[in-house]
Amino acid sequence: MKFEGTENYYLGPELGEIVNISIAMEKPLLLMGEAGTGKTRLAFEIARAFGVSMEEARCKSTFKGEELCYIYDAVLRLNDSRFGSGESGRNVNNIWDYLRFGPIGRAFLAEDKRVLLLDEIDKTDSDTQDNLLDVLEDGSFIIREINHKVSAKLKPIIIITSNAKRELSDPFLRRCFCHYIPFPGPEEISIIVRLHYPDISEQLLDACLTEFYRLREGGFEKPPATAELLDWIGALRSSGEDGGPGGGSSLRHVGTLLKRSQDLLKFKGIKQKTQWR
Amino acid sequence: MLAFIQQLRKAEIPVSVRYVLEFYDGIRKGLAPDLDRLFLLARLVFVKKVEHYDTFERVFAAFFLGKESWQMPEWEEAFASKPFEEWLREQVARGAISLDELRTFEIEELLKRFWETLLKQDSAHHGGHTWVGTGGRSPFGHSGSAGGGVRVYGKGLHGTAQKVIDRRNYINYSGKSRLAGSNVGQALASLKNLKRAGPETELEIDETIHRTAKNGGEIELVFAKEFRDRLKLVVLLDNGGYSMEPYLELVKYVFGKMSDKFKDLKYYYFHNCLYGTVYEDMARTVAVPWETLIARGADTHLIIIGDANMAPSELMAANGALYFYTTDRRPGVEWLKQLRAAFPASVWLNPIPKEYWSAESLTITQIGRIFPMEDLTLAGIKNAVQILGRERV
Repeated sequence: MKFEGTENYYLGPELGEIVNISIAMEKPLLLMGEAGTGKTRLAFEIARAFGVSMEEARCKSTFKGEELCYIYDAVLRLNDSRFGSGESGRNVNNIWDYLRFGPIGRAFLAEDKRVLLLDEIDKTDSDTQDNLLDVLEDGSFIIREINHKVSAKLKPIIIITSNAKRELSDPFLRRCFCHYIPFPGPEEISIIVRLHYPDISEQLLDACLTEFYRLREGGFEKPPATAELLDWIGALRSSGEDGGPGGGSSLRHVGTLLKRSQDLLKFKGIKQKTQWR
Repeated sequence: MLAFIQQLRKAEIPVSVRYVLEFYDGIRKGLAPDLDRLFLLARLVFVKKVEHYDTFERVFAAFFLGKESWQMPEWEEAFASKPFEEWLREQVARGAISLDELRTFEIEELLKRFWETLLKQDSAHHGGHTWVGTGGRSPFGHSGSAGGGVRVYGKGLHGTAQKVIDRRNYINYSGKSRLAGSNVGQALASLKNLKRAGPETELEIDETIHRTAKNGGEIELVFAKEFRDRLKLVVLLDNGGYSMEPYLELVKYVFGKMSDKFKDLKYYYFHNCLYGTVYEDMARTVAVPWETLIARGADTHLIIIGDANMAPSELMAANGALYFYTTDRRPGVEWLKQLRAAFPASVWLNPIPKEYWSAESLTITQIGRIFPMEDLTLAGIKNAVQILGRERV
């Protein structure tokens, strides 16, 4: 299996190689980097390129880790024991009817190799991460209620993403291959833009990118990223691109680039100062 | 290959046996047929944190691309080197830096500019003695005779390793970089680990079954509310010395961003050393009684941010305080010890980088014996968080 990117996703040669190395080494690949660098997208593209299905876990801060493997629905079982399971075909005496598998569980039990995405793992507690360590490492977990071990039939390709909102625990990092995706440079980003807007004119693209990188270096709280750039170009095009992006304070649709009100104020403040000069 | 791993260790990148095994496993699997892939494999296996990327790249560059063994670049050496001298002369000649500025500039600021030029320089000039370029004799070019320097946009191999290394994309994330506007995010990420969190509600199965059975089979759900305890934090800021000034706003910004994570967040100010009183305002007029502060110790984390740099007499002598109206008779060190005893979870953050502590002042070492001390770098903040986390208060 070799991953080479797909037609509408730009894959840097370095990143492609990293994916292949981690697949060959059967290690979870932890992707870090700011929002909009295509971390989550990568997992979907890997699944698409290999034609395998995907198990996706979007992490929440309340996760304890176990629910990603399985959930034992005690309430339903209680309910069934009291009111009967009716037409559902569930048997109250059979616990398996009340176990539901989460993304990790499904990926392990599947007959085929799957891509398992743990999205934004940094939202979870470090305890949760520690709970997941052995699960991901050994490809197995134990259903506590019945002390049954579930082992992966085929180890899934594990992609983990982190926005670095919070530091991940050291042991967790140790078990993964970690890659920090730097923000793409102008050449790479124009390839990305062209994938989304194949007919964009050279002139507009250059003008937009110049403004975009200037804003990124402007020290805003939430600097615009790829997603914002694409939105912005989309907005510019839909409102007629003859005017170009505009410059200075008359930057059109700046709201698509800067999202925080403080940033917008700062942006306008700077502009006023330059006008006075 | 063992030598390479040793180099990594020397450069303070943590290497475990597990990594080494993985690394050899990868090579055996044929994952490193060329230098570029070797670079990626090694980085994936050995480097887990973005702080270490830059160091790793330099070690790799020196080991596989350069000829001399790699050493941490010495600032002093760079400062005394001819290239730097030439650069400085050129800057002054061009008027980019005036002689007046030169006197006021910190050494670090100058070196920073020097490196910036080095990194930005992409118009190649070949030959000659200047420090960027190819084929020259200075230590900073490549294919030069000096060897062991920094490579700059040379064309040696065909791809990734070279490109990646020469650009030094990760220099801002290095653990040694000081707290600044650009890496506040990373500092925040470290600090978030201070917060304790847990799911708010949870079905208590045993109790539910028990109650349901008691209820004659009528289901009664019992939820246990897991107590979400939020942290209390006191930050003591030294706003006297000028060494603190660049950091005051930044520090407050960082903790301000976190304020919703804290149940209680208070800043108090002091000057140089503590003498029984801290102040609520920056001008140090509204005093907070010592007893009030001490009483909070049992359930509150304490971070002291200051340069710990003072005249030894200030710390050690009774009546040592700098200001005559601080009429206190106990030496500062006693107060500090008392504070430390009252706050089991406390740490001192020092804006002066660790390397300079012993050289800078005697009192830093002395205070360092009372409080665990870290510097205001990303790595330092991370360590501080760990120190605080060890004490459950």
